[in-house]
Amino acid sequence: MIAVKNLYKKFDKNMVLSAVSTQVEKGEKVVIIGPSGSGKSTLLRCMNLLEEPTYGEVWVDDQLLTPVDPYLHFDIISLSNTYKKLVASGVSPDEAIVQIKQGDLLKRFEGFEYAAAIKKVRKENGIDINLARRKIGMVFQHFNLFNNKTVIDNMTLAPVLLKLKSKEEAEELAYSLLKRIGLEDKAKVYPSTLSGGQKQRIAIVRALTMTPDYMLFDEPTSALDPEMVGEVLELMKELAESGMTMVIVTHEMGFAREVGTRVVFMADGKIAEEGTPEKIFGDPQSPRLKEFLSKIL
Amino acid sequence: MGYIWQGFGNTLVMTLAAVAIGLVLGFVVAVVKIAALNNKWMKIPAFVCNVYTTVIRGTPVALQLFLMVFAILAFPGFKASAAIITFGINSGAYVSENIRAGILSVDKGQMEAGRSLGIPWTQTMVRIIFPQAIKNVIPAIGNEMIALLKDTSIIGMVGATVGTLTFDLNAASGQIALGLGGAYLAPSLIAGCFYLVVVYAIVLVIKIIEGRLRKSDRR
Repeated sequence: MIAVKNLYKKFDKNMVLSAVSTQVEKGEKVVIIGPSGSGKSTLLRCMNLLEEPTYGEVWVDDQLLTPVDPYLHFDIISLSNTYKKLVASGVSPDEAIVQIKQGDLLKRFEGFEYAAAIKKVRKENGIDINLARRKIGMVFQHFNLFNNKTVIDNMTLAPVLLKLKSKEEAEELAYSLLKRIGLEDKAKVYPSTLSGGQKQRIAIVRALTMTPDYMLFDEPTSALDPEMVGEVLELMKELAESGMTMVIVTHEMGFAREVGTRVVFMADGKIAEEGTPEKIFGDPQSPRLKEFLSKIL
Repeated sequence: MGYIWQGFGNTLVMTLAAVAIGLVLGFVVAVVKIAALNNKWMKIPAFVCNVYTTVIRGTPVALQLFLMVFAILAFPGFKASAAIITFGINSGAYVSENIRAGILSVDKGQMEAGRSLGIPWTQTMVRIIFPQAIKNVIPAIGNEMIALLKDTSIIGMVGATVGTLTFDLNAASGQIALGLGGAYLAPSLIAGCFYLVVVYAIVLVIKIIEGRLRKSDRR
């Protein structure tokens, strides 16, 4: 399960995500849609911490990826100097917490007790980001195959380097994956000689060589020529049918409707509406979503 | 002519040693500066590196040479080494910027792809980023080597040459000219030819290296 809790992301002064909370259960296929600039890619990239959220926490399988966000822990807030001061000045404890949360009053240093509490939460739940990323595959809009490596090296690099598989095991798996997508004859070539569709399909199976539990897709078909979109979506569909947990940012509404188990509509850095594809596409509630759908369909 | 050959040898040795120092120094400085972009522990070393490149690139190499040879490293019999170190440090500042630019020229997605597979930053750098960056850096490094080769000709200014017979190419031509009663033109032209030959050799080597490295770009 990937749990995103109260995520905020600021780029300079620009608030890209504000108060985004959602959960992705095992086996779900969550499709994130929305107008450009609505924060969908940022939300996805926060899920494996390629983007570090300004506030909020990301949990994967009950392990904490991000730093501890004190605003999400009442017990930690109540250890802070600010809270103690407020209570001492006659504010009720509940009111103090509300004030602190709304006013963003916590400072960098809030006393040793507070610092120790944060450390403790981090120690008990935190996971090294490199370990967490092993179980979260990611596919990018621009494929990002390693240009200096052949296709087979692209696929075996991570599992061999991280000592998860022997070179032989990794190559065996890589070849069987290449065979599955019908590109085993491309094993020894460099990415620059491949078409966009081939690159993206290889990028997908490259992520699979790590045998991840989750797959994140960041607009996987947006940079492709139209005639190549189909082959990539087909592979993703296969992957979905095999039971993979997927989070997909896409503009392919047909695909969203067909494969998604849940559709999340984002607008202005917030989740504006979410539900089953039938509900989102058939019976949209919010005016933003209605407007978006009328433009796109 | 004996002077010229001796000077030629000394110039080559000096340049090669300085290039080696410059490359190592430049590489380290570049990596520290890049690492500081997303690692707060590197901020202070990066600041030091910034001061280094700013000061070195902001002052004339002749001044640096005087300071090093006559003040900072003014040990007896250490003149030639001090000069080599100076040129190395000077070259390092320029090389570091070349290497930094080379690393930054590699698409950000390459690092992201490596990291998203769980490969740590350092490993991604070594396996993915450096091999691609080096292709973009080689021409600039060649440029820097050529500039350095000719920069070493100012070593005559601190007199690392006279008396001990450790001429560099330029100083040697001057010495010959003295012997000829001040006819500078011919010896200088000969020295110039030597420089030209070496520069051309560097250009050729760079070309060969570049060709090899570009193999993976297009089959």
